[in-house]
Amino acid sequence: MSEEKFITRRQFIQMMTGLGASLATAAALSEVEVLRKLIEDELALELPEVAHEGTHAAAEGSGHRWGMVINLRTCIGCDYCVYACQAVNDVPDDMRWNVHFIDETATGDVFHVTRPCLHCQDAPCVAVCPVGATYVRDDGIVIMDYDKCIGCRYCQVACPYGARSFNWESREGPSGYQAVWGEAEVERRPRGVAEKCTFCVQRIDRGLAQGLIPGLDRAATPACVNICPVEARTFGDLNDPNSRISQVIRSNPTFRLREELGTEPNVYYIPPEGLTL
Amino acid sequence: MTTVAGTLQKKINRTPVLASWLTLLFAMAGIGLVSGALVFINGLAITNLTNRVPWGLWITVDLSAIALGAGAFSLSAIAYIFRVKSFRKISRMAVYVGLVGYTSAMLALLMDIGRPDRFWHPTVYWNIHSVLWEITMCVILYSSVLMVEFAPILLESKFMQRIFPRGPQIGHFLHSLTPVVAVIGLGLSLLHQSSLGATYGVLVARPIWFKPSMPVMFITSAVAAGATFTLAITVIYENLIRERQISVSLRNQVAAFAGLTMMAYLYLKLWDFLATAYYSHLPSRVDDMHLLESTTPYGTTFWWIEVLFGALLPAVILLTPRLRNVDMWLVVAMLMAVLGIIANRWNVTLSGLIVPMDWSPGVADLLPVNRYTPSLVEIGVSIGVLGYALLMFTFGLRYLPMFPDEDEHH
Repeated sequence: MSEEKFITRRQFIQMMTGLGASLATAAALSEVEVLRKLIEDELALELPEVAHEGTHAAAEGSGHRWGMVINLRTCIGCDYCVYACQAVNDVPDDMRWNVHFIDETATGDVFHVTRPCLHCQDAPCVAVCPVGATYVRDDGIVIMDYDKCIGCRYCQVACPYGARSFNWESREGPSGYQAVWGEAEVERRPRGVAEKCTFCVQRIDRGLAQGLIPGLDRAATPACVNICPVEARTFGDLNDPNSRISQVIRSNPTFRLREELGTEPNVYYIPPEGLTL
Repeated sequence: MTTVAGTLQKKINRTPVLASWLTLLFAMAGIGLVSGALVFINGLAITNLTNRVPWGLWITVDLSAIALGAGAFSLSAIAYIFRVKSFRKISRMAVYVGLVGYTSAMLALLMDIGRPDRFWHPTVYWNIHSVLWEITMCVILYSSVLMVEFAPILLESKFMQRIFPRGPQIGHFLHSLTPVVAVIGLGLSLLHQSSLGATYGVLVARPIWFKPSMPVMFITSAVAAGATFTLAITVIYENLIRERQISVSLRNQVAAFAGLTMMAYLYLKLWDFLATAYYSHLPSRVDDMHLLESTTPYGTTFWWIEVLFGALLPAVILLTPRLRNVDMWLVVAMLMAVLGIIANRWNVTLSGLIVPMDWSPGVADLLPVNRYTPSLVEIGVSIGVLGYALLMFTFGLRYLPMFPDEDEHH
């Protein structure tokens, strides 16, 4: 039915070429030695099942507030974080939880921006959901209850960062990134519900149950953070003044996206050189 | 009312005109059923909706149908709460228009949500902070109100009387509850008709939408267009059976009410424009509006279709006795008002979605302007919903006692 979608042949070829190119790049990159090691470490992680994993109960009264710092000074735009996310979270190839864009400063200097879900503490997507299918956990993570979602897509319309995706169709087979970048750690979402980045909540809940520290222990840290070859992403507990993330925020200038909207994101950015805010 | 049905039968029974009209409507409903089945089988992937433009034609259909059903609560409120007794003569028609409007909206909505099997979730899983939750609850409750108001009409019909002789008695009892039911209906409608605008108005993410005027403009336009629609359907029916059902004075009253409300809507719209675009220059909103107007026909459709043809001209017709007393002009006013409502709901929905959100810290335009044209199945479902609504009107007016004699009750 693609002719009804009014996609021109040219656009279709562009799309397919783009997808193919990114998959090929992903495969080629995986042969780089340093990266090979990162991927092997990721694949070697052992993650046992945990009760209440990924639910509200897992985070109740934990006292943590998970957050991320993304350093735009160091990000080289390699897309590894995107690929690892796609594989681990079993994200469809034409959907992104974590995106990468090339941006520029007022003086024309190019820099790279990646954007997971920002896990807003006053999240517009949470406020508008008619059935409470998406919510902020006590530890600051914004996640979905796929069993409640009715698929109205109001959360997509409300999110100021375009961080939410919808399952327009059901799909078969593995994600194109899984052969190289890791195995699916979470259940595949059914057709008709919304989904989004979860800060790899399955790793956090399992890791904490094992006595690991998210942000320090790889098995308890989001895949995108582990895979970054330049360590542009730091993950950890914003409520703990001694955590690495708190130290990074103290010792660097940071900002949050569209801060004026009052959404209070848990993701902070270190500006690139030459970016005036 | 038996005479009404009798007259109707004599007039249009076995006429090729009715037969072809019904064939057309069933064909439309058939197209809708096929399209609906395709969507249920294949999922929303076969629509042209995307993650960037997740709402489109079906939302426009929902919102327009609900707006056009607004005559039900407003005219009932005038008749039974403000006790303008003359309005009782048209209140059944208004209730029926409301019922058709709300059921049409529900049909479109059922297609639009990704998990139609979970349509009942908002009644069980509450998020009281969500305007959409409030709307869902109000629409469900208000549909029950419409059923109570509609029951007497159904119970008094010839067909129901034959199979259920005690029907009219029960109908009479239900009808005696009307004043209370009308108050509940007014409350529920004031809530959700406004909240439908607030659905857009509360979103800080999108500067074109984010303004307090949204809910007020939604309900005002709905009351104006809904009353016009109810009146025009009545006039069309009168022409079909060649017999007047409402008095000239009632016709003038309803037309004046609709026209004045439309003027109030235009007044709000004027100040909305002045306050958000003329006297103020919020950078994010200015940029978005500029992008919208330079890449889409929004400027034209807004000023010409929404404002001039969709509101100002129908208001002039409705408020000019010489024009509104001519049936043709009244129908023209209705068609323009309906077009105006559809254009407005479409413009509101798409204007906020077409302009990409700029969340990036730098100055580069990361995302292109979004595009949306409904796919064939989206159009097919919408045709089906229209077919359903017209079938309901055809059968309802043919078989139900829509304009009882005034002394029959009270």
